[in-house]
Amino acid sequence: MEMRPDLQIKTVIKAMTEDVIPALDPDNQLAQQAAQLTIGTLTLIAQHLPLEYRFDCDELRRLIEFAEQLKRDAGGGAGTALALAELTAAAETGADVIDRARAEPSELLDAIRLLRAAGSRTVAAVFSESDETTRKAVQATVLASSKEQLLRDRAWLIIQGWEPNPESVPRIEELLPPVSGPVR
Amino acid sequence: MSSTLDKDAPSARWIAQMRAKYQVEREVDRALTRKLEKRSGPPHQPVSIEAMVAGLRAMISEQHPGDFRISNASWLGGGASKLQMGFSIDWSPDGGERRTDKMILRTDLAESLHATSRLREYQIVRALHGTLPTPRTYWVDDEGHHLPYPGLVYSFERGVAKPADAQAGVSGLGTKLPNDVRKQLEPQFIEHLAKLHTFEFADAELYAFDVPELGTQSSEWAVNWWDRVFEEDAEEEIPLVALASAWLHSNTPDTQHLSIVHGDYRVGNFLFDESTNQITAWLDWELSRIGDRHQDLAWSTSHAFAAYADDGKTLLVSGLVPEDEFFEAYEKASGLSVDLKTVHYYKVFNAYAMVAMTLGTAYRVARNGKSHQDILQAWLLGVGYLLLDNIRELIEEAG
Repeated sequence: MEMRPDLQIKTVIKAMTEDVIPALDPDNQLAQQAAQLTIGTLTLIAQHLPLEYRFDCDELRRLIEFAEQLKRDAGGGAGTALALAELTAAAETGADVIDRARAEPSELLDAIRLLRAAGSRTVAAVFSESDETTRKAVQATVLASSKEQLLRDRAWLIIQGWEPNPESVPRIEELLPPVSGPVR
Repeated sequence: MSSTLDKDAPSARWIAQMRAKYQVEREVDRALTRKLEKRSGPPHQPVSIEAMVAGLRAMISEQHPGDFRISNASWLGGGASKLQMGFSIDWSPDGGERRTDKMILRTDLAESLHATSRLREYQIVRALHGTLPTPRTYWVDDEGHHLPYPGLVYSFERGVAKPADAQAGVSGLGTKLPNDVRKQLEPQFIEHLAKLHTFEFADAELYAFDVPELGTQSSEWAVNWWDRVFEEDAEEEIPLVALASAWLHSNTPDTQHLSIVHGDYRVGNFLFDESTNQITAWLDWELSRIGDRHQDLAWSTSHAFAAYADDGKTLLVSGLVPEDEFFEAYEKASGLSVDLKTVHYYKVFNAYAMVAMTLGTAYRVARNGKSHQDILQAWLLGVGYLLLDNIRELIEEAG
């Protein structure tokens, strides 16, 4: 999927800067301020987006360390014991999540692109070198695989309004299994 | 693809590899090479109307010996691909009587959705003037010596692309024209296409066009063109794109009659006079080439430009005429046959070209800030996935 927020945000900022703000009434202070804040907020989002996952993982790791230290330090009555039990459970959940969060989003995207490229080269090689039977088999595999992925791509972008029959496309939430699900 | 390849700043070596890998027409190669050589340069800079007029003056002064005066310059909508400026010129063409004409200046951007040749556009519009309603061409600056980007000047033509009371189509399909309008446009739409495809181009001044050999060469050149665009512009490779390319190369039709192909022949790309419903000008010739007529037939009959008739069931080609009647009337008007298998081939080809434009070029242009409407380019990316699904269905149908 090439349509990603980093590209979209960049183009929105450019359109605001070059087209929208110069056309605003300079005496309309509310509109001028809102436009500048829009650009500022989008710039902030663009900076945060690629680091958000890493930021959260970093915080979770340190919170787990903090919880371990707190368990060692804290003591007292029944209320404290109850709170420590909750803290222990939360730390265990956090440790399980951080244990499974092994790849960064950029690594995921790199792996996808690597496979797309290798798959494309295999298709091209088969069509230039292989017999008709092999080509037919590869064609069927590519068409079947593409059908599944394109359904998700189209559902992902349904709000853009390109689909002639949008009701025939399932909601994206129904098409995406939980990340922790098994590899199919 | 090399992992160190930087498509935003392509090396001279990689550009040479692209040129060697894909055999295309010389002028197509020139336009694509120019695109790559300029890519690492600055992004699109807003051009002031004064700067554009200054460039225009310099361009006309070089090519027109008499004095002239330019006035009333203003920007016009040029779509995602070009900049357009309307202006008036007070002059004495060919040393004759002094008069005022309205004209259009049409230029590239730092990088366009279609990296095409203004020289080709100038030549084809000029060659067809008198055969089809096309603007009168005046001047071309095909290297951008005077203008900020390559451009051409042609006459301003009166007319509208769609009537003021046209209805929006059903479920995202094309514009629905009022019945009285469509009934008068329909025969012109077909007759003009027939005239275009039977135009004797051999003696026309079209040196920016290469003439392919009869057989498969015209299709090969066409597929190579968009193979190259996708490889030069796209960030992500897509196995279905590789399959589509291989399928197109494996199924090239045998073309035994060469025609001028418009490349974007549909409702919306002609102007007509609302008082007479007569077509006044065919526009947007930048994708034209000498090739197989079925490319235009497949494009015109695309569902993307269709609309339903009043019965809500009959799909009208470009909102004008049912497909079977369109083909029948075209055959009668042109004396040329319609081969449905070849139409199907070119439906795959057209979708493939549009995938290269959207998932390839629109992405790269927006990423590098090369146009005046990067936000529109980024938005257009989204239709690429629907087009890919269209390719998948068409290849499946072909068996």
